[in-house]
Amino acid sequence: MTTTLGLDIGSRTIKLVVLESGAIVLTRKALTSYDPLAVCRELLHDAPTGPLVATGYGRHLVKEYLHCETISEIKAFAVGARAVFPSCRTILDIGGQDTKAISLTEDGRIDKFHMNDKCAAGTGRFLEIMATALGLSLGDFMTEAMSAEASHPINSMCTVFAESEVISTIARGIARPAIARGIHQAIAARAVSLLERVSITEDILFAGGVALNRCMQKEIENKLNRKVHAPAYPQIIGALGCALIAEKKS
Amino acid sequence: MAFNVPDVKPLIEDGFVGEAGKRALQYIQTKRAAGMPVAGIYCGYAPMEVIRAVGAVPAILCAFANKTIAAAEAVLPANLCPLIKSSYGFIITDTCPFFGISDAVVAETTCDGKKKMFELISEHKPMFVMDLPQLPDEKEALVNWAVMITKLQGFLEKTFEKSATPEGIEAEIKATNIKNRLMNRVFDYGARKPSLLKWSETYELAFLAQVATTEDLQPIFQEVFKTLEEREAKGVHYGTASAPRVLVTGCPVGGDSTKVYKIIEEAGGVVVAMDSCTGMKPFMTEIEENTGDPIAAVAARYLQLPCSCMTPNTRRLDELDRTIARFQPDVVIEVVLHACHSYNIESYKIMNHAKNKHNLPYLKIETDYSDGDVEQIRTRVEALFDSLLLQNEVAERKGNVF
Repeated sequence: MTTTLGLDIGSRTIKLVVLESGAIVLTRKALTSYDPLAVCRELLHDAPTGPLVATGYGRHLVKEYLHCETISEIKAFAVGARAVFPSCRTILDIGGQDTKAISLTEDGRIDKFHMNDKCAAGTGRFLEIMATALGLSLGDFMTEAMSAEASHPINSMCTVFAESEVISTIARGIARPAIARGIHQAIAARAVSLLERVSITEDILFAGGVALNRCMQKEIENKLNRKVHAPAYPQIIGALGCALIAEKKS
Repeated sequence: MAFNVPDVKPLIEDGFVGEAGKRALQYIQTKRAAGMPVAGIYCGYAPMEVIRAVGAVPAILCAFANKTIAAAEAVLPANLCPLIKSSYGFIITDTCPFFGISDAVVAETTCDGKKKMFELISEHKPMFVMDLPQLPDEKEALVNWAVMITKLQGFLEKTFEKSATPEGIEAEIKATNIKNRLMNRVFDYGARKPSLLKWSETYELAFLAQVATTEDLQPIFQEVFKTLEEREAKGVHYGTASAPRVLVTGCPVGGDSTKVYKIIEEAGGVVVAMDSCTGMKPFMTEIEENTGDPIAAVAARYLQLPCSCMTPNTRRLDELDRTIARFQPDVVIEVVLHACHSYNIESYKIMNHAKNKHNLPYLKIETDYSDGDVEQIRTRVEALFDSLLLQNEVAERKGNVF
């Protein structure tokens, strides 16, 4: 029996996946915090041991401490996505501070990929700040947006400017659900424009923490006019890819 | 990324390895001590042959450090190209040694930001702003640019109390051509598979070769070719044979923005071609000799420079074709400095050209001189290289990913 581990050290959360003979036996998730290495150790301390591969922003930090190999998120997501969804040809990953679009060939090779620039506009962090500006938890933010009868467009995509825009929109008396819907639509539009830079071929997999947001999924589907599949555990795709690669290497 | 053997002799073995600026400064200071006036320049459009024919030594002014940007932003808008902000910051904080020893400054109307920045620094030194035509294929462009070069000659002659002759300019044309041929011989070693040069060696040599005369460079070239021939004989090369070969194109890359070259290397790539004004661009074309009108010949050559300030800048695509054929890159990475609109917009054409005509992956990196985006750039560069390797890896397994 082979046990392998995958660790995805993202900007907001750290994800761990443990595989035994190709099946997921354990997944864990924790906030990245100011000390990602300590969080990794905490996640790993009583987990099964085996070859470990890491990805995500913090991968270089943990490389020497955890004696593991590191791979880029693109590779991790490409491999992880095909494992949960073998017919996947296009991956959209919206994480804490990155948005990635990856297109795969029919046989699973990376065809094209595109990432947002340094700016965190349209990422999970953006959603969190907008929810806070509206005085809502992330869950309520999504529910309110879905319940909205109308939508109020938000034009700024810079997190700081968008927050000001939301505040002035509230001051003008626009209903909160409409603003929440508008924010979701703005992010969906940005994600779709990123997807359009790679070729969009079905099936489309939506991964990353933002894929937990059903309103976002629907808005992206509406804009693309295609079905977008969000797996049950969209946040672990990268860590799963790592664990699978560790399995191949072991 | 490293040489395949340890302790490789540097290309230019002096006390300035890794310090291109200091090496150039020492050269210029020596010339100045010998009585030569110094002409500060900011751009590859400064006609070096005329500057030299007047008896001056050119000095490339500081423009590549993050440390002077905060001072500059007290006056300039934050949303401006870092090269311009840095240049201005160096002047107002009086920290550019090259500017300090310059007797005059030669400037060109390349982009709006520079043009207006020159107005702000014009009071510090005698300055001549050349009106650069930006439709290089119009027949008036050549005439007007030749007029500007003649006016520059007059300004330099008056400011330095020296004079240039047509014969002197012709001699400098010939010297430039010799230099450019020698530089291209060096670049050819970078074009080898695998390359015999580290990017910083080409960068440092190019830095010195812009300011030094061909005559003064001769002993350095002799040593450089000896070193390269030795590397060749011993089978020394830079990076692994399978490392992705990278052509870097776009804005000038120097000082703090060389972070991009470093990230490319750390991610496992080898920068084989630097298509920018701080790399190979100043050396890629020759000037027509013995035309009887050396000013016109100089004017024609400088108008051929494929800068994004020109429109249409079709020469850049032609040059890219030649560079790709010569250096055989696996990927094209474009470096665009923040708020450099002309390179940023033109990058769309470069991307399409790289992808469609050459079937090469293309990555645009928009950056400035700070180190705040190093990890984001690293992620994107590593992903780019991974996608090359992964393509090969999975292809071998014919679709059976798991």
